[in-house]
Amino acid sequence: MIQVSNLSFSYYGSERAVLNKINISVKKGEIVLIVGHSGSGKSTLLRAINGLIPHQHGGEYSGEVIVDGMKVSESSMSNLATKVGYIFQNPENQIFMFSVERDIAFGLENLGVAQEEMRERVDWALELLQIKHLALRAPHELSDGQKQRVAIAGVIAMKPKILILDEPTSLLDPFTAKTLVELVKNLRSTLGITVLIVEHRLDLVAKICDRIVVMDKGGIVLSGSPKEVLSDPNVSVHGVTEPTIVKLAKSLSLGGSNIPVDPEELRDSLGQIRTNRVS
Amino acid sequence: MSLDRKMQWIAQGFLFVRGHTVVHRLDPRVRLITSLSLFSVALLSHSVEELSIIIAIVLTIAGIAKIIKRFAKSMLFTAVIALIAFALNLFFYPTSPHQAVVFGVRLFAVISSTSLFFLTSTPDELEHVMKWMRLPADFVMVFVIAVRFVPVLLLDALQIMDAQRSRGLEFDKGNIFQRMKNVIPVMVPLIAVALNRSLDLAEAMDSRAYGAAKKPTSLYHLALRRSDYAMLGIVLLGVVIGVYVSLYLILF
Amino acid sequence: METVSIEESYDQIVSFENVDYSHPNGTIALRNISFQLKPGELLAILGSNGAGKTTLVRHINGLLKATHGTVKVFGKDAKLSTAAKLSRKVGIVFQNPNNQLFEQSVKKEIQFALRNFGFMEALIEERTNWALKTFSLAEYADRPPMELSGGEKKRLCVALVLAWDPEILILDEPTVGQDSEQKENLVQIVKLLLSQKKTVILVTHDIEFVWPLQPRVILMSNGEIVADGECQETLSNESLMSKGSVLPPQLVEFSRLMGWSLPFPASTFEAKSLIEKATTRTRM
Repeated sequence: MIQVSNLSFSYYGSERAVLNKINISVKKGEIVLIVGHSGSGKSTLLRAINGLIPHQHGGEYSGEVIVDGMKVSESSMSNLATKVGYIFQNPENQIFMFSVERDIAFGLENLGVAQEEMRERVDWALELLQIKHLALRAPHELSDGQKQRVAIAGVIAMKPKILILDEPTSLLDPFTAKTLVELVKNLRSTLGITVLIVEHRLDLVAKICDRIVVMDKGGIVLSGSPKEVLSDPNVSVHGVTEPTIVKLAKSLSLGGSNIPVDPEELRDSLGQIRTNRVS
Repeated sequence: MSLDRKMQWIAQGFLFVRGHTVVHRLDPRVRLITSLSLFSVALLSHSVEELSIIIAIVLTIAGIAKIIKRFAKSMLFTAVIALIAFALNLFFYPTSPHQAVVFGVRLFAVISSTSLFFLTSTPDELEHVMKWMRLPADFVMVFVIAVRFVPVLLLDALQIMDAQRSRGLEFDKGNIFQRMKNVIPVMVPLIAVALNRSLDLAEAMDSRAYGAAKKPTSLYHLALRRSDYAMLGIVLLGVVIGVYVSLYLILF
Repeated sequence: METVSIEESYDQIVSFENVDYSHPNGTIALRNISFQLKPGELLAILGSNGAGKTTLVRHINGLLKATHGTVKVFGKDAKLSTAAKLSRKVGIVFQNPNNQLFEQSVKKEIQFALRNFGFMEALIEERTNWALKTFSLAEYADRPPMELSGGEKKRLCVALVLAWDPEILILDEPTVGQDSEQKENLVQIVKLLLSQKKTVILVTHDIEFVWPLQPRVILMSNGEIVADGECQETLSNESLMSKGSVLPPQLVEFSRLMGWSLPFPASTFEAKSLIEKATTRTRM
């Protein structure tokens, strides 16, 4: 679904390469979590996939990004918008219209979708994101969590194949964040979309993603299943905050590459050790 | 503290409440035509009596729309301007007192008939009217974004002021120079915040295909109903009468 | 410059008595808030967005004035003073650095508040250098704050508040956007402040950051205080936690699953010792 080959990029006026010969491919329906400290190039990579780079942000660009068979650098933003949906970090700055349903229709209006079909898609998106009761509300009447849902609905209405979420929960409290993350997982199951998500709160996302990719200084340093990546002894060096349980498990030298990532798994593996010892 | 409350009041003003009266339910284009007609007849008029009738009509419509309170606030402001206009005219122009009065009252009628439209229309409706008038799409978008984000920026400004107060900055103290200097710690972060918001917006808009189709479609569309045609009829009649009376009075 | 005299006796450095607060547009943000803080205490205020946490702490430095009830800071009614004056003793580090930074250099940024509070020139120089050094910002001293990264800006915001040495320090979401090393630094700073008998209030969602500090905890929901007590009892109480819409720390969840009784381990180190003790016992 996504193929990035030898991608390098530096912004106009900057000598430093934000992305350095990146190679990554993502299969259809995968949920990939991208982590790394700020400045590692995560957001730049995401923007290279939906086309904001190079179309909105110019600079030195080499390499290739292919999304659903389309070459990003040669396709227009509008074409790419029908394939890739992008949810930004700040809920406030991605809702432009005066009512929720009008905002959800924004993308469809831009694409010239017929009014009847537009109405259907808007209603479908409202239903899917469970925000039907908010259809006529104005943006200032919504909480941040609701705003994020509206943003996702607006993007989903365009029926993209790929959903990109750039730190979607950083301004939300953990409870709302957890609900949002589970919602994204359900969208993947219902719609079969591919999901790329940048998120710092590993404890929320580690269990729902298929793969974790760790970036540092413009390159990919680790890539693998959540357990593979979290069990790596150097993962915190790259600016990744390990979940407390993972830290504990490591200090007990548990699990190897099948490291427990949440309290239940840790309890279970300790239980096994005790049984092993008794026998 | 009172500065804060004023700003919050303005921010609220942009975030208005939708009305449900007969007036609000009219097609916004009909409301626009009504306001424009009152405006034009007032502009042509030279008689205080005719102008008073027009003002009475404006107030009646405002009454039906239940916006008298909000209307009264802006009308107070307009009345002051009208009085100033009257005084200036009287003292600086070789006109008779009667003509100065007409000038003042006309100004009042003209301003109040236009604000009638704006006070009874939601930004959504304004947007649709602008599109109907074939204004360029980017221009309409600028309007939409402005109405959407001006209150947000006002609230940002309040946050910034609070943050600087927490660093010992007293906004209510000091002479005029000090107070002017105090604007910088608010302006600089505010501009930075506004720029950031606009950059984010640009990315979000592009990511949702803004500018893709030459003829974007719309979720809602404006449609005239019987009540709209009825109102248009009344307005037409009113304009004919008004113009006739004005011409009659001018010629005779 | 009016200063609060610390010789006045008060055993509660902050006190809220039946405080209500409504926004100018009428919405009620705080209901019947009552609690007292002793000097030198560490308090964590938890709760979902909109629960009223930030609204509450803004009363402590006078940015907001209660609509009903009394807020006393250093034994005096906060209503009688202004935010600028109270801030000399009550420092708030806000969540968003972009709302405050405006000077042409990091150095000037730190000096801004010191000048406002009437510090003498020599002291300003001393405090600025201390702040630059302690927060590893010395290399940026003459650069514009806008050039710093997000994490560095946050560090600067903490630095500039501590530069004026307030008695009470309030940190609003200090860990957002910080990596593990910087979070460790923050923990050290909090511990240092406590050792200097400063009062520290944390407003945060980061429960994993809070748990090892074992502070007093106030849980808020819908403008009310839902719980006020010791870290161990409060954060292990499932019904209170769900009332406040707060997820429990991983160590608490784990301890419950292991069937342990209070007090639960506060750090991975303590948890490791407990586990090793338990496994050695089984062997024997």
